[in-house]
Amino acid sequence: MATTARGGGEREPAAGSGGGGGAAAEMEVEAYRRLFPVAYFERHLRESVRLDARPLASPRDTSVALGLVGSADGSALVKFGDTTMVAAIKLEVMTPPAESSDEGSVAVDFYMPPICSPTVRPGRSAEVAPVISKQLSDVIMSSGMINLKDLCLINGKASWIAYLDIYCLNADGSLFDAALVSAVAAFTHCIDDGRVVTVPGELEGKTKLPLVNKDKRKLMLNNVPFSLTCGLHKEHILVDPTAEEESIIETFVTVVLDTLGRVVSVYKPGGSVLAYTSILKECITLAKRRAQQLRNILNESVSAMEVDKSS
Amino acid sequence: MQRSSVSSALFEMGNTRVIVAVYGPREVQNKSQQNNNQALVRCEYSMANFSTGDRTRRQKGDRRSTEISLVIRQTMEASILTHLMPRSQIDIFVQVLQADGGTRSACINAATLALADAGIPMRDIVTSCTAGYLCSTPLLDLNYVEDSAGGPDVTVGILSKMDKVTLLQMDAKLPMDIFENVMQLAIEGCKAIANYIREVLLENTKQLESRRGG
Repeated sequence: MATTARGGGEREPAAGSGGGGGAAAEMEVEAYRRLFPVAYFERHLRESVRLDARPLASPRDTSVALGLVGSADGSALVKFGDTTMVAAIKLEVMTPPAESSDEGSVAVDFYMPPICSPTVRPGRSAEVAPVISKQLSDVIMSSGMINLKDLCLINGKASWIAYLDIYCLNADGSLFDAALVSAVAAFTHCIDDGRVVTVPGELEGKTKLPLVNKDKRKLMLNNVPFSLTCGLHKEHILVDPTAEEESIIETFVTVVLDTLGRVVSVYKPGGSVLAYTSILKECITLAKRRAQQLRNILNESVSAMEVDKSS
Repeated sequence: MQRSSVSSALFEMGNTRVIVAVYGPREVQNKSQQNNNQALVRCEYSMANFSTGDRTRRQKGDRRSTEISLVIRQTMEASILTHLMPRSQIDIFVQVLQADGGTRSACINAATLALADAGIPMRDIVTSCTAGYLCSTPLLDLNYVEDSAGGPDVTVGILSKMDKVTLLQMDAKLPMDIFENVMQLAIEGCKAIANYIREVLLENTKQLESRRGG
């Protein structure tokens, strides 16, 4: 509801004289917000606060829940404020191609169904969806989070392909960040439950191979990447922008770091603000802090899951 | 999960989990379809790739999705007072997160909740439930395994207080007297769901009221 998002950032605009009782004043603020979004936004920035009363460098409340989807081999639900992502992994067996006969593979897909935002029309998917899909795929591969050789079952004959599907259920800014966390969380939860693999042809007289991986095992993850998107507006850096802020700000910088604090990727697709090295360094520092935060949240939810299982 | 012009609802029936978002009433996007006497109701049904046991890459406009979208739309249209909102459009978007039988019914129930949450005027709460007949026993709310057993599957949607049936679908052969039993069972299931939905809506309204300080 609009009334809850007021907080400390509310100031009556100079144009509307705050008189006329609560309801009328609120209408003026809402009208001002819609008619002059940039001016409304900048008034808040001058007081070092944002539209939802957050300080500039503060991200939204984040929560991670694992194992939401029972029918998937690994799943996670991530919320950054209102932005909601569901990621699910399904493992299937495939025949690896000759060039990488000892490797499995990961297929990443990001969807923005019309449910996520009033601006997405059915029949025409959102413009950013394939962009984010590609970014996610690149980051997951290049960070080396998953060793593809771990996904091999029988060299040359069978290996796992992990289909990672991420659905955005509510798009309120920072889609890439939330999607990446949900992908990582789903992988931490992903359990490979020892399926029987039959290899046609060679084994006459035997109808199936013994189980190749007898125990349920989790995928080993190294170098888990975490990201942070900052919006740059004039001289301000805003961490974790909401959809409203994203419609006003034109320049974004996304930094992806791994567990060792190394930069996996930096993405700044144009925009009117030209960033000096100092600004980029600031973004990287903010990203480090955020990565630590996200790591803690993720570890908490993983241990919460284990407690649930054992009890 | 409420924002300004959208309402949403998450509905679970056993292992079937469905999320519905309702947008509107808002301006008609395709002016040629605009109706000067009533609101346009649009519905889109889609299943997540991971929702069923095997991951299936579903095309947006495949036959089953289109059929279910149509069914949901017509069922909800029977209840929405569309003549109160001429020249506008109400969008119902359904996303199935987990499918274990009875997805159609779960979608209709979730849509009812979301529409009520959006404050869209309706004649009555629409609820839906499935029933089947296996091993000479009528069964209520079939899951995927029971549904695939090859017995008949009757889906019923009713306007609960008015006691009117808006949706009735069945495929398979069934003698008339058994069909009546099964349909009656499904209607009872619908009524039970309607009571539950009513409680949830009351609870939700009480919470909104207390938040508003009323």
